[in-house]
Amino acid sequence: MKARAILLMVKLIRRMLLLMKRGGSLPGTIALKLDPAFLTRFAYPDTVIMVTGTNGKTTTSNLIYETIAAAGKKVIANRKGDNLKAGIATLIAAHASWKMQVKAEVIVMECDELNVPKVMQDVPVNIFCINNFFRDQLDRAGEMETIIRRMSGALAHYKGILVLNGDDPNVVRLQDDAPYADVRFFGIAETSRSSEKSDEASEGKFCPRCARPLTYAYYQYSHIGRFHCEQCGFGDVSYRVYGENCDFTDRSFMVGATRYHAPQNALYAMYNAVALLGVCEAADISFVYAKAVLDHFELKDGRSEAFLIGGKRCMLNLVKNPTGANETMKFIMEDPSKKMIVIILNDNDQDGCDVSWIWDAHFERLCDHSVTRIVCSGKRAYDMALRFHYGDFAGELTVIEDLEAALAEVRQTSDRPYVIATYTALQPARSVLRRMT
Amino acid sequence: MELKILWMYHDVMDLYGDKGNIAVLKKRCERRGIAVQIDTCGMGERADMCAYDLIFMGGGADKEQSLLYQDLIKRKEQVQAALESGSFILLICGGYQLFGKYYVDAFGNQIEGLGLFPYYTNAAADNKRCIGNVLIEANLDGERVEVIGFENHGGQSEGVTQPFGKVIIGHGNVFHGTYEGFYNGQVLGTYLHGPLLPKNAKLADHILKKALKKRYGEVTLAPLDDTWENKAFAAMKKRLIHAK
Repeated sequence: MKARAILLMVKLIRRMLLLMKRGGSLPGTIALKLDPAFLTRFAYPDTVIMVTGTNGKTTTSNLIYETIAAAGKKVIANRKGDNLKAGIATLIAAHASWKMQVKAEVIVMECDELNVPKVMQDVPVNIFCINNFFRDQLDRAGEMETIIRRMSGALAHYKGILVLNGDDPNVVRLQDDAPYADVRFFGIAETSRSSEKSDEASEGKFCPRCARPLTYAYYQYSHIGRFHCEQCGFGDVSYRVYGENCDFTDRSFMVGATRYHAPQNALYAMYNAVALLGVCEAADISFVYAKAVLDHFELKDGRSEAFLIGGKRCMLNLVKNPTGANETMKFIMEDPSKKMIVIILNDNDQDGCDVSWIWDAHFERLCDHSVTRIVCSGKRAYDMALRFHYGDFAGELTVIEDLEAALAEVRQTSDRPYVIATYTALQPARSVLRRMT
Repeated sequence: MELKILWMYHDVMDLYGDKGNIAVLKKRCERRGIAVQIDTCGMGERADMCAYDLIFMGGGADKEQSLLYQDLIKRKEQVQAALESGSFILLICGGYQLFGKYYVDAFGNQIEGLGLFPYYTNAAADNKRCIGNVLIEANLDGERVEVIGFENHGGQSEGVTQPFGKVIIGHGNVFHGTYEGFYNGQVLGTYLHGPLLPKNAKLADHILKKALKKRYGEVTLAPLDDTWENKAFAAMKKRLIHAK
């Protein structure tokens, strides 16, 4: 089948799905079935940006999209987080002309870590931003080492700009695998929340070059921090964009002489914001637009999304691995008021079938007198409850497996409600909460 | 009463929620008024293994595992002395593999094990892995106890003469295997994590009793309220049987 015929078909299928109020990556899946090289059939714009990493890739790519749009450029992006190759094929097909030309000045692609090699081989990416690598879903993604090894393979011939988090040893090591790339680091200086020690689950304790243990001047969170190998000097990076003077009273940080606001009052959110500036620098987009976007950016899609239910503010947060969960819990516990927490733990393929990560995360953080009640829900509700039992939670611990029934408790409480959900529980939780507002 | 636990390579072998196993051992002692001392021993650090009632080693990523085997080999005499002194040893995934003859990783590199037991492990061809929830019928010194966990291993362990249990659902030591793990009454090696102990309260108590035996002989453990443990076990078992 000719590429143009496939394109026609894909556009029709997408139109039909949209009429049925359904999005998704089915059109791209079909196109790639019919023509595995479908993504090589297009003429691409000069700026193709790809964002990957374990945590924060959706937020970071949305920030990049908004900023480039604010700069007045025609930009397209897979904004709904359809970040597999099929999702990217759907995006490209939707915005391609009959002459197989992608109608945009800039493409911003969020890409799943495991899909990076497959996408890079077909799409001329020229700015590639990598946020972080944390221990994630072991059963789906494999050990982090496997992910990094595959990523290295994809970088061997890459000639574009590589925007790397200079404070993550697992990301920094990729510079050694990208001999032709223009490598630029971003990072954040020591803050009032940095610490000398880290008790959070982490990988990359050893130098990837010489296998010596890495030494840290300070940790920001998990294994992110200022690290260095005393033997070979691994980790001595020079930053292109560097956040300083982080202020947690107004979630802001300085780059150069300008103060920027992160989407959330947390270090990981500041890293997402600094990553945005790193990409702007690489794409030659003025930081003025980034500042404007950062000042007004509202988190959606269950990344600290707020719902007003019965006069109370209820926050919804996605968790998917120990690092993300730890940061979310720190954020929740900053609120000193009495709290009730609904936590929905699923173990579908996209969540990871292995829920052992809940024992690596510090759920003890929630086992505090300010948390009066925890409702566990989802397919692994009992595993979650058992986790809190071993965290010596002294409040009321309940299991309500059904998601809707569990969320109905948000209305009953006189305390401040928070909802935490794993990936496949997030959208169902959002729609239930939205109906309750 | 007091229980002394040595957590070997706590900083590198903690891949599959192994902190949970330690938390369970600790809490189940504390809730019974048994004092617990947990010491860690990283690579290159000194520890008198004989001084401990229970020695624990968890699973690690391939890369980390290849770094520490040289360290472990140096401790072979210590491990043997600890066994002679009556210490109990619990090994998960990587720890289990390294107590056998050898482990051959996905790239064909052979890592020598302690060789204390006759089993050996080869990485599966094509990077295939045994992944999923597991239900086994364990044989705890004659008592049949159902144990639930999660497995995720490429290694195929063969030559196990004394398995930990019979596979009811899942793979076990090899793809579609009949048996899971190794257990000789003093050393328990298994691929089950998830972590292993939280949902398997009976097994956790069995291990505690075996470890306390070193200094206190046969002990009777006060019963605990295992409502959450049992519910979590039952919920998973029901699902697995239903899906079969």
